[in-house]
This record gives sequence, C-alpha cells and structure tokens, in this order.
Amino acid sequence: MSKRPSEPRALTSGTAERLAAIVEAAEQAAAKVIDDAEEQARRQLSEASARADRIVAERLRVLADELDPPASSQREPHLRPVSAVPQSEAPAGPRSGSAGARLLATQMAVSGSSREEIAERLRRGFDIADTSEILDAILGPEE
Amino acid sequence: MNLTDLQALEQRYLMRTYKRAPVEFVRGEGALLWDGEGKEYLDFLGGISVCSVGHCNPDVVEAVREQAGRLMHTSNLFYTEPMVRLAERLSESSLGGRVFFSNSGTEANECAIKIARKHAHRRGISAPEIISFERDFHGRTYGSLSATPALAANPDMAPMLPGFRAVPFDDPEALRAAVGESTAAVLIEPIQGEAGIYPLGDETLLAARQACDESGALLVFDEIQTGIGRTGSLWAYEQTPVRPDLLTSAKALGGGMPIGACVTSPETSEVLEPGDHGSTFAGGPLASVAALAVLEIVDDAALLRGVREQGAKLRDALLALDGVGTVRGRGLMLGVGLDEGFEAAAVGADLLERGLIVNVPEPGTLRLLPPLTVDSDQIERAVATIAAALLSYAPQ
Repeated sequence: MSKRPSEPRALTSGTAERLAAIVEAAEQAAAKVIDDAEEQARRQLSEASARADRIVAERLRVLADELDPPASSQREPHLRPVSAVPQSEAPAGPRSGSAGARLLATQMAVSGSSREEIAERLRRGFDIADTSEILDAILGPEE
Repeated sequence: MNLTDLQALEQRYLMRTYKRAPVEFVRGEGALLWDGEGKEYLDFLGGISVCSVGHCNPDVVEAVREQAGRLMHTSNLFYTEPMVRLAERLSESSLGGRVFFSNSGTEANECAIKIARKHAHRRGISAPEIISFERDFHGRTYGSLSATPALAANPDMAPMLPGFRAVPFDDPEALRAAVGESTAAVLIEPIQGEAGIYPLGDETLLAARQACDESGALLVFDEIQTGIGRTGSLWAYEQTPVRPDLLTSAKALGGGMPIGACVTSPETSEVLEPGDHGSTFAGGPLASVAALAVLEIVDDAALLRGVREQGAKLRDALLALDGVGTVRGRGLMLGVGLDEGFEAAAVGADLLERGLIVNVPEPGTLRLLPPLTVDSDQIERAVATIAAALLSYAPQ
C-alpha cells in the first residue's frame, strides 16, 4: 500500500511560508507608509519653517532698508557732480552711531542672531547699557 | 609618484611663486585630509577659507558630478540656468542689486574697481581715487594689487595703477581726511585676513560710510574671506553697523570650484553696461551649481549659529592656553596672537608635523579658518594639539 505523499503537510508548510511572506511584505509596506508619512510631515514642517524664516527675514530687510535708505533716496540725483555736494548736505541721522546701532541690530537679526547675541554686540560695540528699546523695536517685546 | 618625485618635477617645471610645505595631499573628507602615506591631518586652514563646507562635501560633489555630465561650458553669450539662479540667490541674500561673476576674488575686486571708477566718472571726477587700508589684501591682478599696499610697494612690479591711496588701518580720522571730492570708493576688508585677522572697528566703519555718503563715493566690502558664513553670518557686513554699496565674494563661494562675484546695491546696478566688462569662463554652470550647493548648506540659521558657537568655544579654549596672548576675529575666522618669544612659523611647522594644518600670516600669529562644519571633537583635538606645540616651543 502506497502511502499518500505528505502533500498536505507540504502544502500547509508552503501556505504558511507564503502567508508569512505576505504578512512580512504587508508589514514592510505599512512601515514604508509610516516612514513616508513621517518624512512628508518633516518636509512640510521644514518647508513651513523655511517659509516663516523667509517672511521674517523679508520683514527685517524692509526694516533695514528703512533704517539705511537706498542711496538714491538720500542723494538726489545719485550721480551728481561731487562739487555740488557741500558737507552740510550730508544726510543727518541715518548713518550716525545710534542709527548704526539699529542697523547693526537689524542686520544681525536678518542673519539669524539671537536676542542675546545682538544685545551683547550692542553693549560691546556701542556701549549701550540698556538694549531693550532697540531690540524690542526690531524683534518685538520679550515674552 | 611620491613626494620626492613631485618636488623634483616642481623644481623643473613650476614657477617659483610658492613656498610649499613638504606634504602631498591625496584625499579629503569634511575637516580631514590624508597625505600620500595615509597620514591624517585636521585641516584648520580649509584651503585658505575655501573649503568651508568641508572637503568633498557630498552635496557639492553630487551637484558638480551631475552638471559635469550634462553641460560644462557655453560662454556668456548664452543663458544657463545655474548662473541666473545663483545671481538671484546672491542678490537676494545681500545687497539686492545685480551680480557680475568672475573666476576668483581678485577678479571680483577688479569688477568693483571698474564700477567705482565709472561711477566716479559719471559724477564728473576725472582722476578718481580708491582708498584702502594699510596691510589690506585685495588680490594680485593689477587693480587689486594697486589696492594692496604692502605688495604694491614691490618695485619689481612697478608701475602700479594710478589712483590708489592707503590710510592707516582702523584710523577713522585718517580715513575721513583722505576721502574727498575725487574719491571713487573706499575699499574695505571688514576683517583683514591675510594681514593676520584684524577686525575693523565700528567707529571706522561708520566713518567710512559717512564719508562715502558725503562725497558720493561708494563703500565696497571685500568679503572674499569673510563672506559665505565665515564669521557666523552669511556676510560679515551683517554684523557691522553699515551696509556697503558693493560687495565681492569668492573663496568659499564655490566650495573648491573657482568662482568669484561682485554684487551691487540696486542704486549701483546700472553702472556697468554691455562691453564694460566680461569673462569667458565666469558664471559657468559647473562653478555655479557648486556655489548653489554651498549656499544651500551655509545660508542656514542653524549652521550659522553653530559657527558662532563653535567660534566662541574655540576662542575661549585658545585664550586659556599658555603662550596665547590674544585671539582676534569673529566666528570661525580667528587669529591667534602668540606671546612674545614664540616663533609662529616654527609652531606652525610643528603643528603640521602633529597633523594640524594652520597658517602663519605674520610673525607671532596663527590663522585658523576651519570648515564651518567642524565638530566639537575636532575643535578639542585642534586645541590640544596647539597646546602641545606651544608647550614644546615655550621660550626658555
């Protein structure tokens, strides 16, 4: 009497392997979906952060322009003969020490310096003991 | 081919314009270099402030590799996207005007000199003068050389271009007195690099800005060494109380690829017109994609904050060493002033032996320009190496 081949067991074993493979593939796919979602979230967060940085930088640049107006708006006409430029017509204020301090603070803010870094630079370079007025005007009041 | 073979060929075939250290470098990665015998070096010179994003930065390498396989050169008679995108990025990140590309820093300064002279002629000045500071270094082509007083004094290279004058460094009164009706520009290194890392003071910068405004002259910042994040902001002028009319950039801009740029303010952007200036290679796609990759890395608030923090850490650690008297500079552009009695050249050579690359720009000063991506361990390793070298060279 011939024994029945152990096909069912082989089938069972093969099915189990296939099932295991399917489960593994499904797990990998799920993991990839999660990874992709996380990556997308990170990317979106990063892009949002970059957009916010750009908006802040642009606003600060506008502020810097206001503090240091383009030469054309200070000296009309810009390309005039120098003989027509008496010393007394030099722009008053915008390039003085205090305006320089404000421009310095604004440029540092544009370049990403912290409030503390800017305050330290103002104290060191301009001997300004209380830097809060300048910093509040540029960065907003401290929380 | 070993080092001895190279030296023999150099003796026969290369002009003797450089005194090279006896090392052949064959590989680089980040802040590290390896010589032909496999010895590792920590590079705190960065190819003289060129390799600011580290040696063989993968992003720069990939950008160059990809572009090299697609298009390497067309000339400036045609459009290429990388050049235009780079011009936009440089302008928007700084003065907001136009950009002229070149192949080096000295050429970038030549462009600034041309703009300043033409701007002056348009104001009716027949013999325009450009003022720089003693010990400034602006380059080795004749215009830039003429604005580099120490080298311009070499009689073998005479005559220099007319119309250049130097005033004592960081002397606001001397500068005010020198600027007059015939002044075309004041050309400034915000931190003197080749001289040994000497920052200009705020008072002098304000005096320069004011004198230029009063006379109609242009204020030009040579940011060839200080720019591209070296001092902890993308441009050094951002940490000063003034804004220039023109700025020049090179060195780190290309991450190892040769490129320079002169950036104008909007008000000076129309001075140069077709035919006034040009360059065959400048702004080519290969160098431009490298520069775009560099800016993508460096124009980043976190990286720039890291430069300021690592710079402060390095400065403090150096100041604590016996033999160090002063540390000058900003960010990761530092000049280490050694105490009297120390031979900086000997210390520098010893550091090279110990696997640390620095530069000696003047007797008594070590110049440190590590990659901006240097990490804390590498800074500690550099400081420990310098400490050991100073100990062995302490004056008896």
